[in-house]
Amino acid sequence: MEFLLENILNLVGFLVGLAIGIMAYIGFRNTGSPTLFRLTIAFVSISLGFFVIWSGYMIEDFVIKSGTIERGTQTVGIVIQTVGYFFIAFSHSIKSFFPKSNYFRSVGILPFFLVSTVQLEHIFRSISFILLVYGAIETMLSYRDNKNKGAISVAIGLALLAFGEFLGWYSFVFPESILYTISMVIKIGGLIALFIPVSKIPLKRIKFDDDLDKI
Amino acid sequence: MGEYRTQMKIIGDILSTTRDDLQDENGATVTYLIRKANISHSRISTILKTLVSQGLLERGDSQGSNRYKISQSGREFLQVYNSFTKFADNFGLNI
Repeated sequence: MEFLLENILNLVGFLVGLAIGIMAYIGFRNTGSPTLFRLTIAFVSISLGFFVIWSGYMIEDFVIKSGTIERGTQTVGIVIQTVGYFFIAFSHSIKSFFPKSNYFRSVGILPFFLVSTVQLEHIFRSISFILLVYGAIETMLSYRDNKNKGAISVAIGLALLAFGEFLGWYSFVFPESILYTISMVIKIGGLIALFIPVSKIPLKRIKFDDDLDKI
Repeated sequence: MGEYRTQMKIIGDILSTTRDDLQDENGATVTYLIRKANISHSRISTILKTLVSQGLLERGDSQGSNRYKISQSGREFLQVYNSFTKFADNFGLNI
């Protein structure tokens, strides 16, 4: 059951991320907007992250057959997704994600060499959680200005992804509980909520036009 | 304090004005566009030059002054711009 849900989550994540990423890329190609470029990177990363984890499960299931997914693969997938969540948050003007002083910069890299992949996975899950909460709050605040109902759906989607990430992280404390399954169901719901408003954008007459790239 | 507008938003405002809010059929003067788009003369000159060179605006001459009208490409661009403004709005962002 858990394996099936994990596969559904990763496939839905891959497809939703790819669809939104392609849409953002078409927008970037047609308008040259930097915001749409950042959204392209964000959603292509999220899609790629889900794909890496899904591939890990598939390889494990059909080739290795050890019963558990390779931790390194899972961590790589989560790191790539975190990059995507970072670009969503960055689009909301995170100005200084990395420490400015050279000392803190050098110290900041050290933990990557000192911790195991399991701990790395926890670290990136917690970073994803923070970035998703930040993105959800900023998107919800934007509703005050633009009164766009789609923003509510995206904010709920990001919030559900954050909550699912939190439960997934918390489930390490209770490994055999239903928490992990619930977290995956919540994340699938979050991805669907993200896609609903985007799916309503009319793209029928939009085409690539190289002449407009220089704007 | 006024709302911060990106370059893209200013371009969208100029194109919208030349499509929906023209003074007359000859097109809009620079002064009219400055007032409608609310930007400086030096900035709008650069943007208008780019928009004309990209074929989004057509420049004509009437009563001794330059007049600007939106082209077919400009209308298509504006349609795409409006679609992706909505797309970005869903994420609480401005394009």
